[in-house]
Amino acid sequence: MLWARRISQGLFLAVFLLLFIQTEQKGADELGWPVKVFLEFDPLHLISSLLAGHAVAKGMLLGLALLLLTALLGRVFCGWICPLGTLHNLVGALRKAPDPQRGPAWFRMKYLILVILLGGALGGMNLAGILDPLSLLIRSMSLGIYPAFNAAVNGLMDLAAGTQARVLVAPSEAVYGLLKKSVLAFQQPHFLQGTLLSLLFLGLLLINLKERRFWCRYLCPLGALLGIAGRWAFLKREVAEGCTGCGICDRECQGLGITKGRDWKASECFYCWNCDDPCPKSQVSFGFSARPAPGDLDLGRRRVLLAGAAGLAGAAASKAAPHALAERVDPLLIRPPGSRPEADFLARCVKCGECMKVCTTNGLQPLDLRAGLEGLWTPVLVPRIGYCEYRCTLCGQVCPTGAIERLPVERKVAVKIGLAQVDRSRCLPWAFNTPCIVCEEVCPIPEKAVYYDLVQGKDRNGNPVELKQPRVDTEKCTGCAICETKCPVVDRPAIFVTSITESRSRKNQLILGSGYGG
Amino acid sequence: MQRREFCGVVAGGLSLGTALELKALAPAPARPDLVVVHGGDPKNLVRAALEPLGGIRRFIAKGDVVVIKPNIGWDRIPEQAATTNPQVVAALVALCLEAGARKVKVFDRTCNDPRRCYAQSGIEAAAKAAGAEVSHIEERKFREVPIPGGVAIKSWPLYAEALEADKLINVPIAKHHSLSKVTLGMKNWMGIMGGNRGQVHQRIDDALVDLATVVKPTLVLLDAIRILTGHGPQGGSLSDVKKVDLLAAGTDPVAVDAWGATLFGRQGSDLGYVAKGAQRGLGVMDLGRIRVQKLEA
Repeated sequence: MLWARRISQGLFLAVFLLLFIQTEQKGADELGWPVKVFLEFDPLHLISSLLAGHAVAKGMLLGLALLLLTALLGRVFCGWICPLGTLHNLVGALRKAPDPQRGPAWFRMKYLILVILLGGALGGMNLAGILDPLSLLIRSMSLGIYPAFNAAVNGLMDLAAGTQARVLVAPSEAVYGLLKKSVLAFQQPHFLQGTLLSLLFLGLLLINLKERRFWCRYLCPLGALLGIAGRWAFLKREVAEGCTGCGICDRECQGLGITKGRDWKASECFYCWNCDDPCPKSQVSFGFSARPAPGDLDLGRRRVLLAGAAGLAGAAASKAAPHALAERVDPLLIRPPGSRPEADFLARCVKCGECMKVCTTNGLQPLDLRAGLEGLWTPVLVPRIGYCEYRCTLCGQVCPTGAIERLPVERKVAVKIGLAQVDRSRCLPWAFNTPCIVCEEVCPIPEKAVYYDLVQGKDRNGNPVELKQPRVDTEKCTGCAICETKCPVVDRPAIFVTSITESRSRKNQLILGSGYGG
Repeated sequence: MQRREFCGVVAGGLSLGTALELKALAPAPARPDLVVVHGGDPKNLVRAALEPLGGIRRFIAKGDVVVIKPNIGWDRIPEQAATTNPQVVAALVALCLEAGARKVKVFDRTCNDPRRCYAQSGIEAAAKAAGAEVSHIEERKFREVPIPGGVAIKSWPLYAEALEADKLINVPIAKHHSLSKVTLGMKNWMGIMGGNRGQVHQRIDDALVDLATVVKPTLVLLDAIRILTGHGPQGGSLSDVKKVDLLAAGTDPVAVDAWGATLFGRQGSDLGYVAKGAQRGLGVMDLGRIRVQKLEA
């Protein structure tokens, strides 16, 4: 069983990584891979979205399947499936010494974290994505680890090619070609906060060197939720009469399931089967039984109430912040096309980073605290980095929660995420008597949202110059921002996009009688 | 050497010499400078256009590495006429391989996302199926190339694979363009330019001619099967597309573009880069001064 568990972990990690790599534009309209499936099976997102947004995407109902599985078999997800758990497992294997003894109260931490998160969600503030293990893993990999990996490989290969030594160049190019076809990104990804996210993630992994599966034992809110769901699981650990209480199995336990060999808690057991083999008297076995499971969660009613109240209070406090005004308007908050109105968007977004990973141009970036704590690591378009590709609908396809709606191409091209505006003090034909009109050329709207006036200008010496001065049609512009990205005024573009006229907002409109509802 | 062998060698040499002489003496078939073919099937158009010019074998030798440069600049489908007809590209790839090319490469530096452009234009699939090596542009393969005598640009990063090819074939599509009025063959070379191409717009005509002094195609095939008559170079609306079923082929980049201008009710002299190209001796702009052969295919 030990090997069955390891193979299962390996397979799920492999599937996870395969789907991760496939979360990339390939040229077709449809992505064609179920890349959000791990998140859809996540019941923590199901519950927190329901509490915060009172609605949930259909696919998220798969979370019920995981709850059911856990109710029957216990936290097998943690021991056999969770890719983050597997990574913790791998790093933890480097620690040879037995884990330190901790006080009996520590295990409660993750339950209290869960209650705080759910209390916040009940108050309308969905922070589950910050600590949910799947969101955390996908986000850290997408925005931090994977870009760094790409940069390292690209740098190494450039170095090899730069030597121009025959023995190095040919083989390195061959390897490079293979890597590009398999694991490397099409183009080097760049993400704001990428280093920070990488460090946080590496920190969490490195704690395993102090204590194995520290995250899973004490912090993981999904683990806590599954612990609650699995406390009456039918699959149970049995210890026969011959147990001497030697405690060897205690040391092998990945979770906190066993104390002194005999006592066992379903809610803290990962079903890793580590305790089975090493028992010198072969007294340990797992089997199905309907007999009530021993061991209470023992969280303490007052603690739970306090944690829930803390979550609610946090949500209330966040509602009092200025950014939470009934319909907040922020020029830089350019959300992906198909995003729901801001409050609903924030209630659903789980900060997994899938949309940023898949974004064709790398334009979707993780937000800072601009939209409050609940807005942390949610996606915004940063046109200086990348624009919204006109006929691309991938962000909506990969969003597990429907925070970004999945739109067919015909509808997506009509959605406004903002409006382009010309800075006439910097624009070449407006300010410097120089032809340009790149913005008009790249505007993807067939009838051109960026158009121009043909103007007879004069240069400094009074000689006539014919100029095409760009203007923006507020009706047609969707704010895709390709004009800003491609503007040859590279430091601060002479045409730029802000969120005004975005289809999803009633308030953030410019011209009477136009815009809202697209 | 035996006497008989000696005689054989001499006789062979003599007969070869006579044959060469005879060929030189025969009246040369008046090869056209520009061929314009009209017809329904893109594949036939390509073959028919090359025939009067001497066929593909005049241009491609056995073992050549050939670069074919279509316009794949935009995330549009073939019917929208913003990118070169994929069947034209495929037919050309097949002909080059038939003529013994060792490798045929197809690429373009796109404006929209390259993966979408390659896929949606249909060019990636068609060219690959015909046997070409279709690759995406890699930043590290640009080399700064001096442009001696450049008026607007004195040097620019250009794509090494295009410059290092044995033979270079330009396969643009004829389109309206908001800045240069019409985009044809000479403008298509912007697809091998690296760097901040937007700046080139500031002196587009001079820059295109500068570029044409260092990028010299073996052959130009102008795809005018569908032409984009407005909102170019990107288009998007089918109402801007006109199907004229034409393909032009020639070796003079200025002449091909001068003819292309006529598709849009203009003359070569209306296009700054064509006029300047002719002025700077890159080709002939006056269609009355060259042999233009028109065919049905």
